Amino acid sequence: MNIWKISVKNFRYKPLYTFLGILILSVSIALLVGIQQLDTSFRKQMENSLGDIDMVVGAKGSPLQLVLASVLHIDNPTGNIPYEEAKKLLKNPMIEKGVPISYGDNYMGYRIVGTTPEFTALYNAILKEGKNPEKPMEVAIGATIADATGLGIGDTFQSSHGLAETGGHAHNDLLKVVGIYEPTHKVMDRLIITGLQTVWDVHDHESEPSYSKEGRVVEQEKHHHEEGEHHHNEEGHEHEHEEEHEHEGHEQETEHGHQEEHEKEITSMLISFRNPMALLTTPRTINENTNMQAALPKFELERLYQFTGVGVKTITWIAYAILVISCITIFISLYRMVRDRAFDLALMRSYGANTFQLIKMVAYEGLLISLIAFVIGVLLSQIGIYFIFEMITDQYKQKMPLELGFQELFKTAVLVLLMVLFSILLAINPIIKMNISKILSHEK
Amino acid sequence: MIQTNNLKFKYDNDNTIFEFPDITLSKNQNLLILGKSGIGKTTLLHLLAGLLSPSDGSIHIDDVDIQKLTNKQLDKFRGQNIGLVFQNNHAVQSLSVMENLEARLFFAKKTISKTVIKDLLEHLDIEMCKNKKVRELSEGQLQRLGIAMAIVHRPQLVLADEPTSSLDDTNCKKVMRLLIEQADANNANLIVITHDQRIKPLFNKTLEL
Repeated sequence: MNIWKISVKNFRYKPLYTFLGILILSVSIALLVGIQQLDTSFRKQMENSLGDIDMVVGAKGSPLQLVLASVLHIDNPTGNIPYEEAKKLLKNPMIEKGVPISYGDNYMGYRIVGTTPEFTALYNAILKEGKNPEKPMEVAIGATIADATGLGIGDTFQSSHGLAETGGHAHNDLLKVVGIYEPTHKVMDRLIITGLQTVWDVHDHESEPSYSKEGRVVEQEKHHHEEGEHHHNEEGHEHEHEEEHEHEGHEQETEHGHQEEHEKEITSMLISFRNPMALLTTPRTINENTNMQAALPKFELERLYQFTGVGVKTITWIAYAILVISCITIFISLYRMVRDRAFDLALMRSYGANTFQLIKMVAYEGLLISLIAFVIGVLLSQIGIYFIFEMITDQYKQKMPLELGFQELFKTAVLVLLMVLFSILLAINPIIKMNISKILSHEK
Repeated sequence: MIQTNNLKFKYDNDNTIFEFPDITLSKNQNLLILGKSGIGKTTLLHLLAGLLSPSDGSIHIDDVDIQKLTNKQLDKFRGQNIGLVFQNNHAVQSLSVMENLEARLFFAKKTISKTVIKDLLEHLDIEMCKNKKVRELSEGQLQRLGIAMAIVHRPQLVLADEPTSSLDDTNCKKVMRLLIEQADANNANLIVITHDQRIKPLFNKTLEL
């Protein structure tokens, strides 16, 4: 027999009290850990997705929308900008590099981004298999897409116009998967990467007369779309395979000639600065002197956190409030235990137990409750977060790593421990002031 | 050996001063202390057990002046050398009979073999209850457990507070014989305080308060 065994026996003696104490404390710990982990994961996810992007230049409109659309790929773009004009920005010595992106199509809800090879370097994306797209109509896909769609090297698919999974009409052109990236846990995982030329070609094909294998002109049908307008060939569906072969020659021989370089447009230019001083002057210069808009992702996302942070803070404070309540419950539970078992405790004193041994007995009981509650709380939070992340994956096509922030967990554990110790300190007061003679004289 | 001198006690919120006659008991001697309610019987017992500190006087148990012990030393001394039997027998509710005895020995820092404990329980006719929780025991079983708890650690002194007041004549004699027998078997002094005159013939030394 020892103090620990007696504490465990006491702990099990009144299971309802114990269960209630554990339940309330677990819920508050689950909320605290869960909200901290969610907040950290979201911030990390967004910061990760920024990559090396210091500034985004796009069409005039909401800067936050521009950042959400071009960096996080979760909103519609503000419009298009002339590629030639965007390229002029790169002459600025403060700018290290600029990566153009152009999009407007999707495959099963995953955005197809036309860009240059530098794009993958922004996110340190490494090819798992295959190669980076080199020719028009070649694409490389992110890890999430490979998992979700089952697309593999050599597979082909038709893109749909627009950014929504449903509603857009399918383009005739077949895109061919030539590469699959390793998971980055960044926005890259849910993007289909291709060359700029692919995006231009897909839309140009349909704005120009198409030719059948026999060389006859196929009738066109115009479609109006949210982000602009392009044409496509409805009958092309019947000739998908033939058209795939047609493209290679067709693109090189005819399409490139149809549009002059200076007429080409992109959605935005992702820019990395050579010097942080550029943050102060470059965006203002662009906003004041061009028809384009410059937005700073870090600044815009910080603004976004300020909006969403209110909700996070509110839930955090609710969790703290529940934690305080649960510690009060533990205090009441321990205090009641000390009062209800006053005779038992006095009896133990008469057996030779000293005050410190009785305090240890109560403390062990409180610590046992908090330890079990902590384990259950963390488990509950992880189960909750797993389902939230699954929902996010479904909704935003973005897989988020289910990582437990040990620093946050440690902080929460210390906080819970301090509050439980405080509850124990208050609860043991009757033991310290115990008058054994009086308690034993007033026998039950 | 037990010896008290000029023992006085006053409760903090009461002006009454209890003055107790001197007690001297040699090895193996038993004492019956009789007195009416409110005369200070339980106070005297608690003073002897070291649960109360006298306002004046001294208590020596086996040549140890318990007034001079620190609280921790007194707890240890009490645990190892004194056994208490209460009017309504109690034991720790969350523990079984066996666990109560083990806890008693743990706090007394004494090691007694399980066989000895088993023999004691058999002798007290509660061996079959050893795994039962305290709340599952009958009054009689609880009474015998109280005696077992008071003597299991082989104390020098067994103090019993009104052990028979709620018992009928038959059970009264039974319990007292058991208590005296166990105290003798362990070479312990037995001091019983009571207002129950029925047990007077069992003692050859009595003290009226």
